[in-house]
Amino acid sequence: MKKTLLTLALIAAPAAVMADTLESLKSQGFARIAIANEPPFTAVAADGSVSGAAPDVAREVFKRLGVPEVVASISEYGAMIPGLQARRHDAITAGLFMKPERCQAVAYSEPVLCDAEAFLLPKGNPKGFTSYADIAADPTATIGAPGGGTEEKLALEAGVPRDRVIVVPDGQSGLKMLQDGRLDVYSLPVLSISDLMTKAADPNLEMLAPVVGAPVYCDGAAFRKEDAALRDAFDVELAKMKESGEFAAIVEPYGFSAAAAMSTSRAELCGE
Amino acid sequence: MDWDWNFVAEITPALLQGLKLTLLITVLSALVAAVLGLVFAIARRSENRLIARPVSFFVEFIRGTPLLVQLYFIFYVLPGAGILLPPLVAGVIGMGLHYATYTAEVYRAGIENVARGQWEAARATNLTTRQTWVHVIIPQAVPPMIPALANYLIALFKETPLLSAITVLEMMNQAKLVANSSYRYIEPMTLVGVFFLAISLISVVILRWLEQRFGRLAK
Repeated sequence: MKKTLLTLALIAAPAAVMADTLESLKSQGFARIAIANEPPFTAVAADGSVSGAAPDVAREVFKRLGVPEVVASISEYGAMIPGLQARRHDAITAGLFMKPERCQAVAYSEPVLCDAEAFLLPKGNPKGFTSYADIAADPTATIGAPGGGTEEKLALEAGVPRDRVIVVPDGQSGLKMLQDGRLDVYSLPVLSISDLMTKAADPNLEMLAPVVGAPVYCDGAAFRKEDAALRDAFDVELAKMKESGEFAAIVEPYGFSAAAAMSTSRAELCGE
Repeated sequence: MDWDWNFVAEITPALLQGLKLTLLITVLSALVAAVLGLVFAIARRSENRLIARPVSFFVEFIRGTPLLVQLYFIFYVLPGAGILLPPLVAGVIGMGLHYATYTAEVYRAGIENVARGQWEAARATNLTTRQTWVHVIIPQAVPPMIPALANYLIALFKETPLLSAITVLEMMNQAKLVANSSYRYIEPMTLVGVFFLAISLISVVILRWLEQRFGRLAK
């Protein structure tokens, strides 16, 4: 049944009328965004309210574009781009870092949130891991990472075999698996790991940041390729907010550096 | 919506890898379910209430809670009590236990279907309880159960994707990984469906044969 629905959605997607997306968002009064649940990038409180730096920025920009609300749905990182293409979301605002192959698939806005990669490790880093290559070199080491996330790809690119890269469904599970000894390392961006550390308050854990050899990545709001006009409108408002300092006022309380996002550009990060 | 055969060729090895694990889990879980189910069924019939009552409660409890919740419990909660199982073992125990409670009911129906006269005859010929079960009751009770048991085997096989929730890299999880890096769902998900269908159809043929072969003995 699920497969049928999926197939139907795929068939329906290209046939849908390519009207002006911004106009239709304005008239329906909300935009659908894909988020993860990975504080501080994206967070869903127990009462269901959505916060986190990425949705907060998106909410403000959409408001300025005349779309008063955003409706968020939680998705796996790997499912976000297919979901966007299948028109289940209008934008991805989830800390989905810009990488050249993702830039091929979607239209990114200018950078929003920047962060380096980190490892969550048992206290004292008993196996001495400092990079993804170290994990590849130890034949017994296992690393946890979100499915379809940047960390999973970095680990695989560094040569860690598939069966040692454990796909962890969410931060809490990853933390638990590390505490239980099922993982040697759990990798997420620096701010996500430090958020987990604060929540766990477990003296037997420590953070290694940044991971050696892993660059600083930035995310942007991601749109369908054919919605480049919407993306351009988003960029205009985003640039105004960056200039006025309102952008910094939103992201800095979460720990993100506004200056880092402003010092780079989509062209640079996408390798265009 | 364009089908790409090159992509199919590229992802098939990964999916077959997952299929192997799916089959392994199915076989192991089915064994657990078959043996444990019989134990449950016999224990529930025990004249000793201290055995029958707790087992009945346990069976009803497992049958009345979702498999996914049980898997989370075994995988994420039990380590807190010092029981740390590898994902595959946790999955086999979870699925085997869950389906054992279903097969227990099938066994119960089969056992209750054996004519009362058989029990009486066993007692009259001075067989022990063990001999009665092994030589009289079970050989007559099992053959009519084969279709119902086979049904649960196929259901179990089709529920293995639930194990992706506890990080087992079975076929569905492999397909999701493939989709995660290619941003395409159509080929991986179609192939998963095709593989499941193919294996189900083959098992139906084998099970039909089993039914004919052993079902006849009962008559």
